[in-house]
Amino acid sequence: MARKHVLDGVKVLDFSHYVAGPHCTRLMAEAGADVIKVEALVGDSSRQLPVIKEGRSGYYIQHNRGKKCMALDLRSKEAQDICHELAKQSDVVIENFTPGVMKKYNMDWASLSKINPDLVMCSISCLGQEGPLSKFPGFDYIGQAYSGIMGMTGQVDGPPALSGMAFGDISTGAHAYGAIVSALYHKANGGGGQYLDMTLLDCLFSYHEMNVQVYDASGGQMVPKRSGHQHSFVAPLGLFKCGGRYLVIVAIGPQWVNLCKLLGKEEWVDDPRFADPVIRNENRDEISAAIEAWLDTIGDAEKAVKILVEDNHVPAAPVLDVPEVMEHPHMVQRGIVQTVDDPKFGKVKIPASPMKYSQFQEPLELQASSLGQHNEEILRERLNYSAEQIASLTEAGVLGSKDN
Amino acid sequence: MAEQHILSGIKVVDFTHFVAGPHCTRLLAQHGAEVIKVEPLTGDPARGLPFVKDKRSGCFIQHNIGKKNLCLDLGRSEAQRICHELIKNADVMVENFTPGAMQRLNMDWETLKEINPELIMCSISCLGQTGPLSRQPGFDYIGQAYSGIMGSIGDKDGYPSLTGMAFGDVSTGAHAYGAIVSALFHKLHGGGGQYLDISLLDCLFSYHAAHVQMYAASDGAVNPPRCGHHHALLCPLGLFECHGQYVVIVAIGAQWENLLKLIGREDMLTDPLFVDLLARGVNQQLIIDAIENWLASTTDIDDALEKLKQNHVPCAPVLSIPEVMEHPHMVGREIVQTIDDKLFGPVKIPASPFKYSLFPEPLNLQAGTLGEHNHQILSDHLGYSDEQIKQLEIDGISAVANA
Repeated sequence: MARKHVLDGVKVLDFSHYVAGPHCTRLMAEAGADVIKVEALVGDSSRQLPVIKEGRSGYYIQHNRGKKCMALDLRSKEAQDICHELAKQSDVVIENFTPGVMKKYNMDWASLSKINPDLVMCSISCLGQEGPLSKFPGFDYIGQAYSGIMGMTGQVDGPPALSGMAFGDISTGAHAYGAIVSALYHKANGGGGQYLDMTLLDCLFSYHEMNVQVYDASGGQMVPKRSGHQHSFVAPLGLFKCGGRYLVIVAIGPQWVNLCKLLGKEEWVDDPRFADPVIRNENRDEISAAIEAWLDTIGDAEKAVKILVEDNHVPAAPVLDVPEVMEHPHMVQRGIVQTVDDPKFGKVKIPASPMKYSQFQEPLELQASSLGQHNEEILRERLNYSAEQIASLTEAGVLGSKDN
Repeated sequence: MAEQHILSGIKVVDFTHFVAGPHCTRLLAQHGAEVIKVEPLTGDPARGLPFVKDKRSGCFIQHNIGKKNLCLDLGRSEAQRICHELIKNADVMVENFTPGAMQRLNMDWETLKEINPELIMCSISCLGQTGPLSRQPGFDYIGQAYSGIMGSIGDKDGYPSLTGMAFGDVSTGAHAYGAIVSALFHKLHGGGGQYLDISLLDCLFSYHAAHVQMYAASDGAVNPPRCGHHHALLCPLGLFECHGQYVVIVAIGAQWENLLKLIGREDMLTDPLFVDLLARGVNQQLIIDAIENWLASTTDIDDALEKLKQNHVPCAPVLSIPEVMEHPHMVGREIVQTIDDKLFGPVKIPASPFKYSLFPEPLNLQAGTLGEHNHQILSDHLGYSDEQIKQLEIDGISAVANA
């Protein structure tokens, strides 16, 4: 039989909640893996996040499509036994509790690797499993602050700017996905199981494509600082105002010459004050003023982008808000928005997976489950529990469910 | 031979430049793959990015450790033939030219899958291989603008803020890495080769953890504007002034009660103005004032952070790059890695965030000089004779530069 997707046949046991962990296991489900999500009896807290319709959270749906759901009282020995049995037959276990919690539940790597030495276990945390900061509760923005990302964004003399989306959570989930599939590949080649310690801190810090190296290599002479709406080291690279809107222009390569001509500043091409992007940055106010003076004569951001990009090959883009992105013909053609048809919530639009495979051009049909929706199915089919056993676990409050 | 790492034995031919593509193939190299980076005679433009010492770029080193270097004039059919021969025996090919360029070089997927049907080819681009914007030249910040990321950062009524790092490039490189390894796993199970179209646009857009869904599900009623230094909808979540510096506080869960007790404002617990998350968002200025008043009463920022932590309120200082690099926690995690470049000397870069229990030590990898491995690759991989290799150089089809 043909494989349904790249991770067809891979069994995942998922203890994650909120965003970073669930995004990782969503990517796995979207790649064809069989994901069982185990939630506490109260459910993943993200089941309460907006928008809520018919008691269902659109937020939860976005990050949990394609997973089967079990709800268990993880403090009880019976629930832990069930998890151990499932871990025994799983390829992957994922969790994103605060470090230490899995040990309390007898489900840390030391316990699980004894039960299943071929297991790939991935812990996702904000600040890591070890070290002085590891035990503190973490969120995306905490990771952004500790990684130097937040300090590098915003006004020079004012507060940093808060990013309007949890990009640390999502992109760490994607890194964890890559690490897990790498470990699965290694296991398939006879390498056995292993433990992965993935953090927002490490992933976010790796996004400094220049800052760390420039600070170090310049012997501390070049200290990266947040720089408002212009780049810290090179020019022109930043945001410019046009007709009440903003556009971004990046002319740090050969496009600089085209830009000078367009601005009527041909003399700048040979001016030593503008010799390279780093020197230009020292005189960037003059450049910005000339760019915005030209933009004033155009008065329309979309039109200005067209002149810059199509007629002069100067990289530029209008700054779009989210609704504009969703309606843009390019994004529509790429299928960047995906619609999930939830049985209770109805239709919900979410960002589609950015992983585009030529062999699997159509995304799998995946739904998000209600709390404990598959308790019975999983215990019966995976672990051969009898109806009586399942009923008594439900009665004892080890198993739970809700219809949202 | 002892196994080096997860992808030992995997052969990669790499046509990438600048950051997004090179970061992806750097990850492949760090996982033990053999990566041959093919550069044009002028070299990857990143070889000129700061910091430059002895004509050697630290930025280039950061994104190109662990790759062998082949320098060819890709416009010439002889060079293309060499590439085809390498690709015939490769598992993976990665490129990040502007869409259309690989076709002009006779190295698009239609051509290459005839040469090697088991190949995994990954194209990384700013705006994707298809659609009206696809042929535009792209940079990280162009992708941020088109994905709605940039429009969501900065003051509501002023300019958006430019992020101080190209996180779209690096994180798209990581996505591409994940897609490539997924395709390798699929190939290992008999699924054959395939083509991957990975873009900054798609990756960055997927970072909207809530916004897309909220806007659509509320039928357009909820469209959070960019929000300055406090979250648009939730409070307390943002940056708070503390003795001339800033602290991040996130108390949108059970920590809300702890926070109010700590700042001596238990009265707010029962106040209908703050009854739930949404109400607190609406009345956020009152909360911000209460928190900043308390912060002003602390001795200093360390005292404030210590008290918050003792009360289990998630918080953090906003660190600069030097502070991150020196922080004991980060030092303990070895978040910074030092590469000892033979020309540049030691250079510090962010370490790989991929932490495997089976491979706790990173591989010892160096960045190649332009054309450094021309002879080795042509001779060892393709069986070219010394004369043939010399002739390619004389004809200007290959080149070697000591930088």
